[in-house]
Amino acid sequence: MSDDVVLQATDVVKTFSSRGKKLGTRIVSRAVNGVSLEVRRGETLGIVGESGCGKSTLARCLVQLLPVTSGTVAFEGTTLTGLSRRRLRPFRRQFQLVFQDPYASLNPRRTVGDIVSEPMRINHLGSSLQIAERVRELFTTVGLDAGAINRYPHEFSGGQRQRIGIARSLSLNPTLVIADEPVSALDVSIQAQVLNLMADLQQEFNLTYVFIAHDLGVVRHVSNRVGVMYLGEFVEFGDVGSLYETPLHPYTEALLSVVPELNDTDAPRRERIIITGDVPDPADRPSGCPFHPRCPVATEFCRVEKPMLVTISPGRQVACHYPRNLAAVNATTTPA
Amino acid sequence: MFYFIVRRFASAILVLFAISVTVFLIFFATPGVDPAARIAGRSASPQILAQVAKEFGLNRPLPIRYLLMMEHLFIKQDLTSYVNIGDRVVPQITQAAPVTLSLVIGAAVIWLIVGVLGGVVAAANQGKFIDPFIMFIGIAAVSVPAYWLGEVMNLLTQSKFHTSIFSWVPPPGYVSFTTSPSQWFLHLLFPWLTLAALYAGIYARVLRAELVNALNEDYIRTARAKGLSERRILFRHALRCSLISIVSLFGLDFGALIGGAALLTEVVFGLPGVGLLTYTSLQNLDLPVIMGCVMYGAFFVVLANAVVDVLYAYLDPRVRLA
Amino acid sequence: MPEATIDRTPLLRVRDLKVSFATRQGVLRAVDGLSFDVGQKEIVGIVGESGSGKSVAIYSMLGLVREKNATITGSVLFEDREILGLSDKELQPIRGGSIGMIFQDPMTALTPVYTVGWQLVEQIRQHLHLTKAAARSRAIELLGQVGIPDPKSRVDRFPHEFSGGMRQRVVIAMALSCNPRLLIADEPTTALDVTTQAQILDLMVTLQDTYDSSIVIITHDMGVIAEMANRVVVMYAGRPVEIAPELELVRHPRHPYTWGLLDAVPRLNVAHERLRTIRGNAVSPLNLPPGCAFAPRCDYVMQKCAERPPLRGENDHVDACWLSDAQKVTIRRTPEHST
Ligand SMILES: Nc1ncnc2c1ncn2[C@@H]1O[C@H](COP(=O)(O)OP(=O)(O)O)[C@@H](O)[C@H]1O
Ligand SMILES: Nc1ncnc2c1ncn2[C@@H]1O[C@H](COP(=O)(O)OP(=O)(O)O)[C@@H](O)[C@H]1O
Ligand code: SF4
Ligand code: SF4
Ligand SMILES: [Mg+2]
Ligand SMILES: [Mg+2]
Repeated sequence: MSDDVVLQATDVVKTFSSRGKKLGTRIVSRAVNGVSLEVRRGETLGIVGESGCGKSTLARCLVQLLPVTSGTVAFEGTTLTGLSRRRLRPFRRQFQLVFQDPYASLNPRRTVGDIVSEPMRINHLGSSLQIAERVRELFTTVGLDAGAINRYPHEFSGGQRQRIGIARSLSLNPTLVIADEPVSALDVSIQAQVLNLMADLQQEFNLTYVFIAHDLGVVRHVSNRVGVMYLGEFVEFGDVGSLYETPLHPYTEALLSVVPELNDTDAPRRERIIITGDVPDPADRPSGCPFHPRCPVATEFCRVEKPMLVTISPGRQVACHYPRNLAAVNATTTPA
Repeated sequence: MFYFIVRRFASAILVLFAISVTVFLIFFATPGVDPAARIAGRSASPQILAQVAKEFGLNRPLPIRYLLMMEHLFIKQDLTSYVNIGDRVVPQITQAAPVTLSLVIGAAVIWLIVGVLGGVVAAANQGKFIDPFIMFIGIAAVSVPAYWLGEVMNLLTQSKFHTSIFSWVPPPGYVSFTTSPSQWFLHLLFPWLTLAALYAGIYARVLRAELVNALNEDYIRTARAKGLSERRILFRHALRCSLISIVSLFGLDFGALIGGAALLTEVVFGLPGVGLLTYTSLQNLDLPVIMGCVMYGAFFVVLANAVVDVLYAYLDPRVRLA
Repeated sequence: MPEATIDRTPLLRVRDLKVSFATRQGVLRAVDGLSFDVGQKEIVGIVGESGSGKSVAIYSMLGLVREKNATITGSVLFEDREILGLSDKELQPIRGGSIGMIFQDPMTALTPVYTVGWQLVEQIRQHLHLTKAAARSRAIELLGQVGIPDPKSRVDRFPHEFSGGMRQRVVIAMALSCNPRLLIADEPTTALDVTTQAQILDLMVTLQDTYDSSIVIITHDMGVIAEMANRVVVMYAGRPVEIAPELELVRHPRHPYTWGLLDAVPRLNVAHERLRTIRGNAVSPLNLPPGCAFAPRCDYVMQKCAERPPLRGENDHVDACWLSDAQKVTIRRTPEHST
């Protein structure tokens, strides 16, 4: 299967250090703390987690916008970490980042046509006529009026701006698109439009997605596999269906239980598990299991011993000493 | 907060050291220029040149020369001018400093009161006649050159109406506070007003802009939803937050003025302050004095900056953590 | 909360509320005829896309829409007293006293330069005549009630020393500090994570029960509505398009816009191939169509829709759409519309 892997990250660590309160001290904050993952061709890997758990930092490390502190990132078998800017350039075209904030990520003083064509102009992909033609084509592809290319970002609504951001990311025919909360700032109805568009584009251009979100409904909807992040680490990985049906990690279970639901069927509501407190400061990590201060089933052992990410059944990994729903998982995944 | 203050002043001292080295290098170690000739001034005799060379160790290595210079300036305080032979630099500055301090502090009190009042009244009356009216006066005050305003004041008080309504105005010059507080006040009144006009205009405009911004903030809506009175919202919430930027502006202006930027006002009103001293020493190319003045000015600018930062941290709790 | 405990004598009665702004491009009708009631101890949810006029509507009730170019008409009766058009002075005891407010963005809702205790005490002393010390112990008690750990020491901290969820708790403590009859919450959890959202919604329901107050909660998230509200007002382009009890609304929605909103929510339990969307974008409140405002995006638009549909229906469940009652039921039941 390894030839199918588009992006592979191994033990990626990213720390930020800042000046401490006391004279001469430094605070080291491990925003990403040893992440390994594989993204396979054509799939969508969803990443969920509360804000501040390191999703954006990880995304930036994956596309080499931030240098990793340690660990490696490989794209189609080539290790990218440590490459010079120049050696990196041919790869950059192949993976693109789509940002959360459709307002902040577009330069307000450039026309949207300029914004979308910029990557092509920088990479000298064709004459200006060809580029203009391609921009029109991209606008049509993402469902915008090609006549609008001479307008400015502020003349567009949030959903339209996100379409512009997507058009820009597609302009270089990337293999991999990493979308960092692309719909979090949008209304549900507009969010649905953008999600559908992204699904269509994936089919049409055979794209591979890494899709970051904090909305579990959205992630369920778009992903094939899902990783759950907590405090800079993955605490659970799984195929989307089984992960949502039978979460293994207590954190995943709690996250799923508190998603507001429409009571539009007579199905009994799942019991809500409200975890208390906030995500700890990545500069001051708890001992043992990072989730233990908030975990409803933590034991003394969890406080001292950190659980490793282990494979429970094919396609299911979890980092917890006492995984939930084990019986159900084993029952559904016994070899056929 | 304690660490913050310590850190801030430690860095201020470092900056001062760096400035003293830079100034020293510019004045006395520019390649191709004979430092002795520069210190001694124009048309100095060979004996004086030799004396200078000896006194400042001009044939010794740079670091030693720097230390000697600093010793003359700060420890022995016997750096002397060679243009007006025998005039010691440090006493000249310590004599000029109170004049400048009196001028700037007095003016600062006036411009802060007038500026803050103007800004608040304008912001509280947005859209009414009084707002653009105050802003117009503000921009007029900002646009009038200080020396012109000073000359006009002089003209009115010293010649035109000197025998009538302004007969109580003393002639230009300075009388120290210890000699006669009332004369000190009368001598400085018009210089204060002149200097304050410019800054009052700027401060009123800046404060109005800050207040208008602050009044659109979410926390103002919260304050209103709490049922607070409009007056309380304006003063305790909007103004309190807007003061942060006024304070930092004030620190910079105040430091610069003490450091010699009040030159024009001093010249027009014949006040023997640091600005005037710098001005005459520049005209005479009196290098030791120029250097003394620059060091003095730098000291106040850096000090004012440090004080502002501490005050800023006091006013804005978010900064304290940084 | 069980329906039975709700006293339907309205605490708040909004009638034909209209708010418009005179802009350079013309008259912007942000709220265009909003009417609804809030009963004693009732939780009413107002839902609609952003820009549909939810915030403007509730801010205008308490005189918090202060733009000079705004025109506000209609009637807002609170405890049988007209409060629309009162002066700031007359509104002061109501604001923060009998009506508490919670805002969307907890990061900016508190004045950055004062401790949270100072800000709580300020409000308490504004409305209740307590000594400083008494107000302070009330503030500490409130912080404890909203679930802030170690309130005795946290009371002297500045807002930036709290996380988003914790700040929202402080804002809630503030809104509740003077035992308000009504709590108005403008997207109180939109800026928060699901876990924190669950904590905050839970807290609001618990406190509402303790304090016997009513709640108006604004959101664009149907899920939040379903968690919280007894009754729902669906707004589109400044107008109410459907008002119904919560369960009734999610199970038997009658307005095509409500259908769209419900269908666009990605579900946890169903892996849809595609999400159903509402086509196009929200209409600009600058040039509302004279008839049904939803017509440009509606799949069932007909001739009649050029006229503005009135809110009709039984007492409990009203909607503003020209489709016949039978059509509303059958269309919703057709395969592409059953979830
Ligand atoms: N440039 C930076 N400097 C210091 N800390 C940072 C920086 N960027 C992110 N962090 C910290 O890293 C952690 C993870 O942040 P982020 O990746 O943005 O999380 P998410 O996207 O999941 O919300 C946070 O604690 C954040 O404060
Ligand atoms: N001061 C104002 N001037 C002009 N238009 C405004 C003003 N405030 C709000 N609006 C407009 O009113 C409409 C409703 O806004 P709002 O109530 O904030 O929507 P919601 O809260 O439902 O997202 C929007 O179209 C907005 O642009
Ligand atoms: S290891 Fe322990 S603390 Fe961590 S998630 Fe599992 S049960 Fe909870
Ligand atoms: S009135 Fe007409 S346009 Fe409006 S929602 Fe009903 S069917 Fe659609
Ligand atoms: Mg992020
Ligand atoms: Mg709003």
